[in-house]
Amino acid sequence: MKKSSIFGIVVIAVAIAVIISTYASSSTYASFREAKQTNSELHVIGHLDKQKELYYDATKDANYFSFYVKDDKGDECKVVFTGTKPEDFERSQQIVLTGRMVNDEFHASKILMKCPSKYTQDKLETTEVSAKKADI
Amino acid sequence: MAIDYKGEHLFPGHLGQIFVVLSFGAALLSLISYYYATTDKTGNDKSWHKLARVAFFINSVSIIGVGTCLFYILYNHYFEYHYAWNYTSRSLPVYYLVSGFWNGQEGGFLLWTFWQAVLGNILIWKARSWERPVMTVIALSQVILATMILGIDIFGQRIGSSPFLLLRNAMEAPIFQSPDYLSFIKDGQGMNPSLQNYWMVIHPPTLFLGLASMVVPFAYAIAGLWQRKYKEWITQAIPYALFAGMVLGTGIIMGSFWAYESLNFGGFWAWDPIENASVFPWLTLVGALHVMIVYKNTGHSYIMATFLVLISFVLVWYSSFLARSGILGDTSVHAFTDLGMFWHLVTGILVFLFLAVYLPVIRWKELPRSTKDEDTYSREFWMFVGSVFLALSCLQLVVVTSVPVWNAIFGTKIAPPSNQVALYNVFQSAFAILVTILAGFTQFLKYKKTDRAKFLAQAITYLIVAVLVTVIVVYFTGIYRLKVVFILLMLGSVYSVFVNGKVLVDAFKGKFKLAGSAVAHIGFGLLMVGALIAAGTSKVISENTTGEQFSPDFAKESNPKENIIVYRNEPVKMGPYRVSYVGDSVSAPDHFFKILYQRLDAAGNVKEEFMLKPKAQVNKQMGGFAASPDTKHYFFHDLYTHITMFNALTPEENSQGDEKHGEDDDKNYDPPMPHQVRVGDTIHYRDGYIVFKGLGLDNKVANLQLGKNEAAIGADLEVVSRGKTYTARPLYVMKSNGVFGFPKKIDDLGLKLALTKITPATKQAEITVYQQPEGKKKFIVMRAIEFPYINFFWSGTIIMVIGFLMSIFRRNKELKTD
Repeated sequence: MKKSSIFGIVVIAVAIAVIISTYASSSTYASFREAKQTNSELHVIGHLDKQKELYYDATKDANYFSFYVKDDKGDECKVVFTGTKPEDFERSQQIVLTGRMVNDEFHASKILMKCPSKYTQDKLETTEVSAKKADI
Repeated sequence: MAIDYKGEHLFPGHLGQIFVVLSFGAALLSLISYYYATTDKTGNDKSWHKLARVAFFINSVSIIGVGTCLFYILYNHYFEYHYAWNYTSRSLPVYYLVSGFWNGQEGGFLLWTFWQAVLGNILIWKARSWERPVMTVIALSQVILATMILGIDIFGQRIGSSPFLLLRNAMEAPIFQSPDYLSFIKDGQGMNPSLQNYWMVIHPPTLFLGLASMVVPFAYAIAGLWQRKYKEWITQAIPYALFAGMVLGTGIIMGSFWAYESLNFGGFWAWDPIENASVFPWLTLVGALHVMIVYKNTGHSYIMATFLVLISFVLVWYSSFLARSGILGDTSVHAFTDLGMFWHLVTGILVFLFLAVYLPVIRWKELPRSTKDEDTYSREFWMFVGSVFLALSCLQLVVVTSVPVWNAIFGTKIAPPSNQVALYNVFQSAFAILVTILAGFTQFLKYKKTDRAKFLAQAITYLIVAVLVTVIVVYFTGIYRLKVVFILLMLGSVYSVFVNGKVLVDAFKGKFKLAGSAVAHIGFGLLMVGALIAAGTSKVISENTTGEQFSPDFAKESNPKENIIVYRNEPVKMGPYRVSYVGDSVSAPDHFFKILYQRLDAAGNVKEEFMLKPKAQVNKQMGGFAASPDTKHYFFHDLYTHITMFNALTPEENSQGDEKHGEDDDKNYDPPMPHQVRVGDTIHYRDGYIVFKGLGLDNKVANLQLGKNEAAIGADLEVVSRGKTYTARPLYVMKSNGVFGFPKKIDDLGLKLALTKITPATKQAEITVYQQPEGKKKFIVMRAIEFPYINFFWSGTIIMVIGFLMSIFRRNKELKTD
């Protein structure tokens, strides 16, 4: 067998390993209901429930932020995040949470929020677009 | 009915749009002419060639015209243009207007096409017999880039997005019914605060020059296949490929510098999809470079070299697609939004992919192949292996980063790996181990045939030295706590640095030709060492050990509590430091915080003292809060601090206000505590004590005119809190129409002091103390990280770039002597 063929086989093996490992380590987008049934980390896409309380008090604990999220299936769950509250969190339209369920709380290790896109949301509110620095 | 709008400056936009269309037309003409010039059989007809050049010059000039018009609009704040309104504001300094220029996607394409035009002109000047076929490909690329900023409707379909789009055409709003709508638009949206960093002035041009220069080796490869000059193109393309690798590498590292300084990624490399996308073409191109050199020296690896050069440029387009199509919306924080260019970008990829597949396929049988196998003890064999592993590491990045693309293609709903960073770290480190080891021992091999015994003796001696040094490094930096794969990578990097160091020393003794590659490999090795230690042993030192915990369970299993709350003037112990938040200042929209770091020795004495001033920007229009860290640079590590939260302070509050009083203000304080005191008495309060020094007559009170029988009495107070002394002089004013108190605030202490009563009979005065409750006191929440040996990372980069540069000079010289 030629050396290059042996090498070719090694390359193909590595490529297959890469793909399999990616697939194996990829998680799934799930609902809270599914999150309750497993112990592994997963992604939940949902919306912030703006009716319920967002709790963050730095003077009590600078690393505790909790809020309620309604997932795509309509289930709601309390979410706890270790960290500070992201600015403008209230405005988010969609939230992607990475984490796992602990008892009845979803403990998020990562929050990705989608704020209203400039291209879709801006209806040009003229009252807001005023020059704050122009006269200085 | 057309509305007659007032106050618009339409001329620069019209002119700019003319230039946009002209640049497209000229590029197309240049493409066609270069094509006919290339395929001209007679070789005598110079007219196509001349026309092609003229058209390319016109294209270049128009691009400069487009840029000038756009900058004119930005500079003059013509907010009737969407681009100016959306990406800049009046408060931006001029040098950030430059970064506003490439804030939007259109600006990015403009920059790309500009650099490509510059390179095209260099090729027209330098490429000689290669000009026609190479420039055909460049002109094709110019045509495609020009369509990206065209912004013209064809068959109801908008092609590209023009930077000269008017605001009123970009969005629907009732305001545009009014002819004088511009008088309502006083300012633009401003710039995303994270882009307001000096790296953002220089990083995009460098990155885009790198991306643009990738087209040159690609064009040479295509030209070589097309013109059946299979062998010759490689020598020609090597200097350009080196240049592309150098500039793109620099641009990527500049981006990581920006991430380190500006964004709160928590580091310089976070495997963000956009970061990954920028590395794809770099990895394959560096692989390509090695096999190109192999081919030049031995005639082996031709197909691999061609494949890697071609795929590199296709990956430039693919990474551009990932960044700009909006497809990464769910996985990346800084993917651009879709401008309706999804399919347009896909078309771009497909055009170049087609060329990269079609030409090699039709020429397949003619391609040069080496008849015999490479020798195992030959440099070319192991350089080939190294290139393959570079390509495989790129493959792994592509596969994982593209998860959203797979979802879009196959209709699946796979989420990206939940711990992507760990996955990338392990995989990429494994590839890097092989690559660094190869970059080491391959230097001991010779092309074609090597003396086996001598090689083994050298390679193994150096390996033993590297192992010993690695053991020491691993022990002292704490790397041994990490996974084995990282320790092996450290070994590989150290090995590569040592072996190439030897080569460099030899080079100075005579074989100077080899210096470039040795320097570049040393740089890469040091970069790996720095990245490994800095990322592997970076330590969050702001671990919160104080404060109420929500639930012990929560604290136990969650990540360490990395944010720490610091009240104004209340020092907190943090690692080896005592940290105090001593002040802040506002320069709208930036808010600077002064944080005093004091390093204490065991006895509690201050050994070292310095101030860090991290910045937070609250920008309501851009949706939020952006923190820029401040960093204390040491030779061996960096200490990095950024604000993650603070209780809102408005600029007014910051002035040492004393005139403001009344009911409203009192709400900010705990219930007042009146104290009856005589001169010399001391009042104790929560955070210290207040000494009543005495009373004095004042004849002037701020804006108040005092008449006869009217008087102002001030109480001299000295406040001592946490080892610091403050003075305050609240006033008590008796006027004909009543009595007024003028309390004094001491902002630093969250204290308000008032002189509320004077009883001459008993020589007593009543001092009322208002104290802010804990929660109302100024505080910041911050995070501090230590990055050890980060300087290896930066210096490695610089050394690598120098190595590239030396190689460029060498290969360029070879080109002339050949």
